[in-house]
Amino acid sequence: MRENHPRRDQTIAKLHDILVRVAVHELNRRRTQLGSLAGPEFDDLAHQAADDALLSILGKLGDFRGLSRFTTWAYKFAMLEVSSKVARHTWQRQPPSDEDLTWDRLPDNLAPQPDDQLERRQQLAILAAAIGQLSERQRTVFVAIALNEVPIDVLAVKLGTNRNAIYKNLFDARRSLRAALASGGHPLSEEDVTKG
Amino acid sequence: MKRDAPNLDELLRATPGDAGCTAGEGILDAYVELELAGQDPAITYPGTAVHLKACPGCRADHDGLLAAARLFGGIEPE
Repeated sequence: MRENHPRRDQTIAKLHDILVRVAVHELNRRRTQLGSLAGPEFDDLAHQAADDALLSILGKLGDFRGLSRFTTWAYKFAMLEVSSKVARHTWQRQPPSDEDLTWDRLPDNLAPQPDDQLERRQQLAILAAAIGQLSERQRTVFVAIALNEVPIDVLAVKLGTNRNAIYKNLFDARRSLRAALASGGHPLSEEDVTKG
Repeated sequence: MKRDAPNLDELLRATPGDAGCTAGEGILDAYVELELAGQDPAITYPGTAVHLKACPGCRADHDGLLAAARLFGGIEPE
């Protein structure tokens, strides 16, 4: 694939064909996020992901250090493009609702139930109070991802940022909530005990 | 009917040493290659191993790359 290699164009075309197959496979794996997308639109999304992955690969050939097979390295770019495109498609098709992002109360599957043990009910009460004490950004991210299962990349599109920044918010929120549970006498792990 | 209550330890997973998304993105191919070779990638990349248990986005990319490398790994463009 080096510049001026006699088989460069042929090799690039073959790589593109493989990237399309990888993208199709990955889009099928993530089909639950794609709604009714099918036919030409599905194929178009796969080709867009393969096209953009190929551009990234050609631009970063010099970065390939041989820590994996070349194909595994190349397929990584297809994964990243599929992630990004699936998130944008999901965002356009079904953006997170305000209810997905707004803290009101614990969702039904976490709300205390009459048959819960006392300890569980105390934990959930502490958790509910601690969610209310998070920063607005941490609370939005935690409520959307952890409680309402909004995909992290879709939330990143919604908030105009990237996955890494959202994950940092999520990590900090989780750490604060663990600390609150430990302070309230309900550590979730031995490590939380030593911190608390 | 018994409800499917989430495990709080899982829901609030925040393990020290988490390398984050950006660090993992750079070595995800090498991480997967170790798995394909039957080795434990957590030995070489402990921070990413921690991260993949907690980040749904990176875990999806990892799972997809592992599947693709298994399925299409024998194809070489050159």
